[in-house]
Amino acid sequence: MTRENAPSKYPEYRKQLGPGWWLSNQRYTLYMIRELTSFFISIYAIIYIYQLSLLASGDFSSYDLFVRNPATIGFSIIALFFTLYHAVTWFSLMGRIQVVKLGPKKTATPLQAIAINLLLLLIVSYAIVYLFILR
Amino acid sequence: MATRSQGVLDKMTKESGVETATLKVFRYRPEVQTEPYVQEYKVPYRRDMVVLDALNYIKDHIDGTLSYRWSCRMGICGSCGANVDGEPKLTCASFLHEFKGKEIKIEPLANFPVIKDLIVNIEDFMEKLDHIKPWIIRKEETPLEKGEYRQTPEELEAYKQFSMCINCMLCYAACPIYGMNEEFLGPAATALAYRYIADTRDQDHEARFPMVHDKEGVWECTLVGECSVACPKGVDPMLAIQKTKILGATQILKPPRRGK
Repeated sequence: MTRENAPSKYPEYRKQLGPGWWLSNQRYTLYMIRELTSFFISIYAIIYIYQLSLLASGDFSSYDLFVRNPATIGFSIIALFFTLYHAVTWFSLMGRIQVVKLGPKKTATPLQAIAINLLLLLIVSYAIVYLFILR
Repeated sequence: MATRSQGVLDKMTKESGVETATLKVFRYRPEVQTEPYVQEYKVPYRRDMVVLDALNYIKDHIDGTLSYRWSCRMGICGSCGANVDGEPKLTCASFLHEFKGKEIKIEPLANFPVIKDLIVNIEDFMEKLDHIKPWIIRKEETPLEKGEYRQTPEELEAYKQFSMCINCMLCYAACPIYGMNEEFLGPAATALAYRYIADTRDQDHEARFPMVHDKEGVWECTLVGECSVACPKGVDPMLAIQKTKILGATQILKPPRRGK
């Protein structure tokens, strides 16, 4: 929004948020960890594209070496934990925002909504795995 | 007789358990010194006393120069907000006994410029409230004799919680996004905008879209969720912001408005 920032008529004290503001309260810290997950997910995406490019070029031995590298496996596990943390916190928020209706007058509690969302996630994930791998 | 009743009073006071609280109060007195400082006060209290009572005790008995806002003492007026022990709280709803055995840090509401002691400048918030057109917009007013605008309980439920806001600004003090960007429309103003957008009696919800979907509107919010934790009236401003985001995102699917 556009406002006119008129200079104050009297002296005022302004305290700026320091770089460590997110450590002052546990909920802020958990929020920042959720924000941080995007870093791991984006690095993982770059690694994944690199893996696909190796596969596409037909260089299977380098691909094999790359995915068996302990560093790749280690990073993937860390990225998985951050992704799961993001997914769970995201679904718990979504349960509050997009209310799930269980009947004409009944809406799901946040916990039920997480359960429904996670169930849908599992069904969709299974459908994708089935379509591309198992079929 | 007088001494006897005094004795009864003393006994009652003793039974009700008078203790001493230590308050570390933020002081900012630009007329005396340019930098803020912390002043310590010791206040006797009973179990039923709140932080605001302690501030009033200080003002009456210890230090008349302490400045703070208050009015109703019962969580309705929204004037007495302060950061109590680091968390934005209504001082009239924070019991002293909850901090038993530790010093209570009293600071002005975070993220606002401080004018004096615990008094912050609320002009920015007032402008934002006015900005989002907080009233029912009718394209055509129905004559009075045709009766009231009727709503079903479900239609009332859609906005009722957001109408409970008392403009205490605790949500702004809790919001790090507002702390970093003062231009952000923020929780309470968006909740109020959504209160009217979700009201079936309002006939031009989209009139508020330019404000709430502005660059500094709801899209600045990154779901910290602290506003809804801080709210003393059970309003969920984070929910209002996300619902407004959904309205904005689905707006693109609708046919354009006629005549504009």
